[in-house]
Amino acid sequence: MIWKRQIPILIVTVVGWITILGWYIDEPTIQGFVNDDATQWFDILASFAIILGALNLIKLQVQKILYQKPGWIYSIVAVSGFVFSIVAGFFIKGVEDSVAKWGAHVTTDGTLFKWMFDYMFSPLSATMFSLLAFFVASASYRAFRIRNFEATLLLVSGIIIMVGRVPIGSVISSWFIMYLIVLSAGIYVNIWKKDMTVTFIFVAVGISIVTISGFVMGWPIDQPGIFYLPAIQEWIYYYPNVAGARSIMIGIGLGIFATSIRYVLGIERSYIGE
Amino acid sequence: MSKIQDAFLKIGSVDRRWIFLIIALVVIVPLLIPVGLPIRPTDTTKNVYDAIESLPTGSKVLLSIEYSPSTRPENHPMTISIMRHLFTNNHKVFITCLWPDGQFMAQDAINQVAKNEFNKVYGEDYVFLGFRPGNEAVVKGIVSNLRKLYTVDVYQEKIENIPLMNGITNFKDFDFLFSSSAGFPGTIEWVQYASDPTGVPMATGVTSIQVNEVMPYVQAGQMVGVLAGMPGAAEYEALIGQKGSATSGMDAQSVAHLVIVLFIVLGNVAYFIERNRAKKY
Repeated sequence: MIWKRQIPILIVTVVGWITILGWYIDEPTIQGFVNDDATQWFDILASFAIILGALNLIKLQVQKILYQKPGWIYSIVAVSGFVFSIVAGFFIKGVEDSVAKWGAHVTTDGTLFKWMFDYMFSPLSATMFSLLAFFVASASYRAFRIRNFEATLLLVSGIIIMVGRVPIGSVISSWFIMYLIVLSAGIYVNIWKKDMTVTFIFVAVGISIVTISGFVMGWPIDQPGIFYLPAIQEWIYYYPNVAGARSIMIGIGLGIFATSIRYVLGIERSYIGE
Repeated sequence: MSKIQDAFLKIGSVDRRWIFLIIALVVIVPLLIPVGLPIRPTDTTKNVYDAIESLPTGSKVLLSIEYSPSTRPENHPMTISIMRHLFTNNHKVFITCLWPDGQFMAQDAINQVAKNEFNKVYGEDYVFLGFRPGNEAVVKGIVSNLRKLYTVDVYQEKIENIPLMNGITNFKDFDFLFSSSAGFPGTIEWVQYASDPTGVPMATGVTSIQVNEVMPYVQAGQMVGVLAGMPGAAEYEALIGQKGSATSGMDAQSVAHLVIVLFIVLGNVAYFIERNRAKKY
């Protein structure tokens, strides 16, 4: 029991404390361990983890095929792909040693592994990702609804980012956006007053103000900047977005800190299956 | 009025396969018949360009490739443009990969730019160090001692036999870092473990979806700039004066975005009509 419980906890606690202290103590041995040895150990462990991961994957997929669990047909494809990759990676290069050495053959044109990457993995991977465009279009059509103030805010910023980020956004003048704002305000005035005459006067005055101001001040396409989509989207990226992203990052940082403390104090023991 | 409302409701409940078809068309048609919309470089892109432009000739630049074929349309044009810019200014390029797939992407960029366009000499003008497993530990390893992590390059050549590697032992020996990234491990790990602790300036090129995460580091000055998605790549192509796949993709993306916005507006109109009718009855 001591080897399965106390010793692993002790290793984690000692290594954890040394790693933390390495940031605060200017001692060459500790610094060397943190910056050099620990990362080397991690690299070695990560390499073994890849092997373990692969073995685990193949075990699960083979079990699925043997017991004919739901979707076992797909597991045959997974296992075949795995075996093919192993063969192409370790046993059949497809070219002479003078063209590519073992290891270098992975990215060399004409090898079996590169063929697999170019003609099987790349198209499949690209296809999966490309499908997102269709699902995003369909989902935004059905789910992006102006249900409340927050949803409206999200929708408006989403539209500004989507149009402002692409070149077509830079050819939409500030004037056009101001006209749109006047028309949108006109809808609200109509809902509020329920009087066509008032709405008409409001919209006519608004459009006149925008047009006259534009001509008098000689606004180019990107002026006033506050109504120019690329400028607005940059502002959204730089300020409201950064504020939100930072708060999330601080939250994550505090979470990592709390979890790390639990590890080094031996409270968190999920890594030994408890 | 009721007929118009009915028409909107009909549009609101359209089968999603029609939406898929329209999206496919609006993406394919502009790719086949480009409109050539003007590309306006943003400040964040211009900052990356200026940072590379201000490096003295022969600077040692680490180029890290962290993306796979799935995000190739966004990241690869950035890598190509950055590589072109670096080789045009005669900088020395060192290429690493934090993603296994990145090795293939990097090799492709090397073939296209370093070999075919610039006839650069391997080992003298650029080195391809390749992929090592370990995520952020690899970044940390490069920062502390690159030679312990990389004993051979991608082509199984010993590091000590590569002339360009002379004098390179850790991250501080580089003058600049550019990370072409699509997620973890990537840009953020480079900022946290390499660029920020050592003071070596860095810039990044990321997918559009990552811009939110990366922007705080740009605003804080921990990165000189960011190429944000395919538009960022197209802007960089415009800045170096060499149009590529990102520029040709921008027309398609522009139209696709407009159509999605149109869908959202139509969907909302239908939603309001439906809600008003429900209130009435």
